[in-house]
Amino acid sequence: MNRNLVAALAALLLAGVVAGYVVHARQSPAARDLGAQSVTAHSVEPGLQVLSNGVLSTVSLSDPQGARALTPLQCDRAHAAAGTVACLVPVDAFRGTHIQILDRQLRLQREIPLTGFPNRLRVSASGRMVAWTLFVDGHSYATTGFSTSAGILDTKTGTLVPTLEDFASTVDGKPYAAADKNFWGVTFAADDNRFYATMSTGGQRYLVEGDFAARKVRAIARNVECPSLSADGRRIAFKAAVDGHPRNGWRLSVLDLATMAVTPTAETRSVDDQPLWLDSETIAYALQRDDGVNDVWTVAASSTGQPHLLVPQANSPALVN
Amino acid sequence: MSTRTTRAVLASGAAVTLTAVAITVAVLTHAPNASAATVTFTPVADTYVDNSSTGTNFGTSGQLGVDNSEVKRTFLKFTVSGLTSPVTAATLRIHVDDVSGAQSSNGGTYRAMTNTSWSETAVTWNVQPAIDGVTLGSLGAVSRNTWYQINVDALITGNGTYSIGVTSSSSDGADFDSRETGGTAPQLIVTTGAAPSPSASPTSSPAPGDPVLVGAGDIADSGSNDTRTAALLDGIAGTVFTVGDNVYPNGTASDFASFYEPTWGRHKARTRPAPGNHDYNTSGATGYYSYFGASAGPSGRGYYSYDLGNWHVVSLNSEVSTSAGSAQEQWLRADLAASSKPCTFAYWHKPRFTSGSNHAPNTAIGPLVQALYDFNADVVVAGHNHQYERFAPMNPSGGLDTARGIRHFVAGMGGAGAYSFGTIQPNSEARNTGTAGVLKFTLHANGYNWQFVPVAGQTYSDSGSGSCH
Repeated sequence: MNRNLVAALAALLLAGVVAGYVVHARQSPAARDLGAQSVTAHSVEPGLQVLSNGVLSTVSLSDPQGARALTPLQCDRAHAAAGTVACLVPVDAFRGTHIQILDRQLRLQREIPLTGFPNRLRVSASGRMVAWTLFVDGHSYATTGFSTSAGILDTKTGTLVPTLEDFASTVDGKPYAAADKNFWGVTFAADDNRFYATMSTGGQRYLVEGDFAARKVRAIARNVECPSLSADGRRIAFKAAVDGHPRNGWRLSVLDLATMAVTPTAETRSVDDQPLWLDSETIAYALQRDDGVNDVWTVAASSTGQPHLLVPQANSPALVN
Repeated sequence: MSTRTTRAVLASGAAVTLTAVAITVAVLTHAPNASAATVTFTPVADTYVDNSSTGTNFGTSGQLGVDNSEVKRTFLKFTVSGLTSPVTAATLRIHVDDVSGAQSSNGGTYRAMTNTSWSETAVTWNVQPAIDGVTLGSLGAVSRNTWYQINVDALITGNGTYSIGVTSSSSDGADFDSRETGGTAPQLIVTTGAAPSPSASPTSSPAPGDPVLVGAGDIADSGSNDTRTAALLDGIAGTVFTVGDNVYPNGTASDFASFYEPTWGRHKARTRPAPGNHDYNTSGATGYYSYFGASAGPSGRGYYSYDLGNWHVVSLNSEVSTSAGSAQEQWLRADLAASSKPCTFAYWHKPRFTSGSNHAPNTAIGPLVQALYDFNADVVVAGHNHQYERFAPMNPSGGLDTARGIRHFVAGMGGAGAYSFGTIQPNSEARNTGTAGVLKFTLHANGYNWQFVPVAGQTYSDSGSGSCH
């Protein structure tokens, strides 16, 4: 990735926080509790984009529990990478769900109407590919309480795949055709063509590896939901249904793609999110309290350590670096 | 009463001098009235805004600031609940941060606020609630690492949610500890008398024999929570309502026989159901209509009404047309017009208002909500999202309406696997996911009580009361 671009993006997104804090820190010594001194006008520290009960916001990674810069944008789910910000906009009385693709200054680039209720959203590391998952009502085959729809947009070519259900699929090496296929939780590889996702069919939840150009997916593992590919492309963080059944909740786990070995993380609470790699050793995810308030936590991408609270009252984390 | 005029200043165990305007300040020297009870609440939200960082939110930081240059304003929100006796005194305690510069010659002016729906992580200088209520009190000089108290008797009158805004006219700012600090979080100390006031709620005082309406939605499946919620009904007399998705997966006759009949089925004779989308997975919901028979209203139609005491109760069908001018909407308006009851209760499956993450608020049902509002209905219960949620009284657009608003509930916790919440919607007052249970209404002559009753072994609760309009 272009480091100059990274620096510029981080500086721009933190500008609101930075500008306020320079003044604030000088006039109020007590402001040091808020981490003001750790953010300066020359800082290129990375930031974390989150949703604060639906408001697109940015916090400093050096003080994620301190001040947060709020934007006017409302999203049910958001993600960002390399200057592309994606926002699944809530429905209101006048409009259904839609996705907005914005640039780093939150200028609208493209808007696509969608059907369903926002669930997952990913921008590829380059900022080129955007994939979303929505809950949808009314699939006649929906017998387990929900069905989903996952789509992909190539922002470079404009190619739009409304639903991955149109892609050819193979399971156990054989062509697989079933009416009850549902996809969710797309994550992209560095080449912006290969991707991973969950395909649910016949009571199984497969990890599929996809080829966007060839419009096909193949199942490569079972009981893998909401995959998130590490930057080096070697590991997938995901949620694994406990004892293979979602009714029991999900264990945040890491899959080694070379050995296909699964390592449960030290997070033992049920995680229902598509995790985010903060760095090569750490994953972030949202956990919801009983009253619907979310918090962003981190845990090591191994079986070691313990979960740490990263950003209270936030969800949908994305690194803007 | 002695406690009303006694205000303490506690500074690491010692009293300090405190300048106060419009309140009486004294060192607490004697024990509270033995018959009084004291309950301490910490804020459910607190934050401040800063006009030098107009788009910045400080909701999760450890500090609260008041200042006039740069301008900082602090907002506190408390939810008072569980009180069973009248409030005799209420005190706000706030702690000055233990950092250099936190002290000030001016600890701020404390005022009541009308707006109690602001969110701790959404308030910024650009988007801040108005500090528009009466002045409760002011603090003069405040010292670092010290507690101060404000008399807030004028604001705290009983159970409810209250907001307090703090401003300062001094360019010497003060910094307090926020709720995030834990031990030095702001406190609201509420003292209640020994006996309930006989005139506390004349319009909704329970009378023995007032009808009970109890139920939930999203009920029977191959799991065990439907068995546990059915067991709750065994101990609650009254009419049972359902808000749809009575049985999974498909509402077939076989599904009803396998899952509903062995659980909620034993209460069928006193059940008045509503259909959901899973009931309609069987074409025309024939399984539903066959199973419930005349209790579900005219077969195939899915909407009907009945009376309970002073209440008119309407069961509606969100799975067929609900548009303005539809047969159902026209029937509803005629039905409400013909009712002579002072109170109205309505229920159906898909919620007009919900913060659930699986199903968005259902705007298609809007015309029925409008009709109910036009006829001054009081309560609406829906399901569809597998969780519990209670909203403040709202107009058909979802705006707070304490005069004529309808209180909306989502009661999708009847047994099916729990769903998460998404963005918490305006005027949502209580939420829980993961606790199966039933929602019990006691229907008084001109008001009602609600109570979330959790299954055995669970602790979530929510209760309250409202008046008819």
